[in-house]
Amino acid sequence: MTQTAQRPVLLGVDGDPLPETMWQVARRPRWIALLGLALVVAAIFAWLGHWQIERSVESVQVVNPETETTKVLSSVATPQTPFADSLGAQRVSVTGEFDPDDFAVVGDRVNGGETGYWLIGRFVDDANGASLPVGLGWSATREGAEAAEPSVAATSTVTVEGRYFPSESPTESDFENGAQTVVSVAALINEWPGFDGQVYGGYVVADDAPRSLDAIDSAPPASDVQFNWLNVFYAIEWVVFAGFAVFLWFRLVRDAFEREHEEAEEARAEADARGATQPTRAS
Amino acid sequence: MPLKPRQRDIPKIPGAVRFYKISAYVTGVMLLLLIFEMLFKYTPLQLEMQLGGQGGFLVPVDSTTGFNLSTAILIAHGWLYVVYLFADFRLWSLMRWPFSRFFLIALGGVVPLLSFFVESHMTKLATRQYDALTAETTPTTEGAPA
Repeated sequence: MTQTAQRPVLLGVDGDPLPETMWQVARRPRWIALLGLALVVAAIFAWLGHWQIERSVESVQVVNPETETTKVLSSVATPQTPFADSLGAQRVSVTGEFDPDDFAVVGDRVNGGETGYWLIGRFVDDANGASLPVGLGWSATREGAEAAEPSVAATSTVTVEGRYFPSESPTESDFENGAQTVVSVAALINEWPGFDGQVYGGYVVADDAPRSLDAIDSAPPASDVQFNWLNVFYAIEWVVFAGFAVFLWFRLVRDAFEREHEEAEEARAEADARGATQPTRAS
Repeated sequence: MPLKPRQRDIPKIPGAVRFYKISAYVTGVMLLLLIFEMLFKYTPLQLEMQLGGQGGFLVPVDSTTGFNLSTAILIAHGWLYVVYLFADFRLWSLMRWPFSRFFLIALGGVVPLLSFFVESHMTKLATRQYDALTAETTPTTEGAPA
């Protein structure tokens, strides 16, 4: 004989047999209805997550084409104002002249995996007379970068096309070593003897380099980060909530199952206690 | 008839109450921060908060140059609410409270300021229940040999 057969059939407080597993509880109409409700809630949450994913994709699509369309710098950026996030790596064109005296060389610049130097010129925008640092080209040596200065200084009015980047932050060790490794508008101003007036908040990396230099690598921006990530995180959260809704249903079924057993046990204990006291009273 | 917490779960209750209490305060404060942020961002003010960028602490939307504090608050709030919900679930399942109470606590993390009232009520309730339970069981545990 198996143990199951020997076990007495347990009766609930209402006199019905107790469920042996929680799945018997789960199959009752009330709990099936509640499962339906939990699934509807989970579906709504999943839909909200889907909506957030769609939004995150949309916000990427809105930002990207804008940066790949070449725009006149003075129409999208204003000198003497902070660099706007949305302009990062924007393709721009700007017409003006290079100042023949104000060049700078910045070290520690990586091009195609190799460390070298950038030649940076002060470009004066014809549209408003404001100065703009332009990364002209890359060379493996400092001398190589400096050697290209005369050819750029000899040009008259030109149109530079390239990408617009925010000014980099100077580092303290650079300052102490006297070597420049960042393109900082604030630091460059101090090095330009001829500078007097207004300046843009970022710099442009030119597409075409002078003949003796290599063109600087500049990639289109990776998808717009912040808004994208916010929506992706919200989407993950909705998925977590959806899973939670179904899990809660499972917990409630288990609680109901245990409640019936515990109530039956308490009722039996009470009955036992009454049974134990009655004979003593009778005797 | 409501179920009592299981005997083996009783020692876990104070920890669960503390966890819930802390996450309730954190969620409550984050929710207020969020409202503060919405007031700046989605009203005609159109301002976002940033740390360490140019132009100061409050700048027009989409023109942040530093660390975008507004977006950070949104992301942090979302996940701290998940933590809050977990704390809610842990307390509710240890105490074996009715489902309505789980729902009320969850709602407390969504409605501004509600979390503070719900928190004080629920903590009091849980502590009172815990004290009653330990008073019931103390004689037996003290009687056991050390």
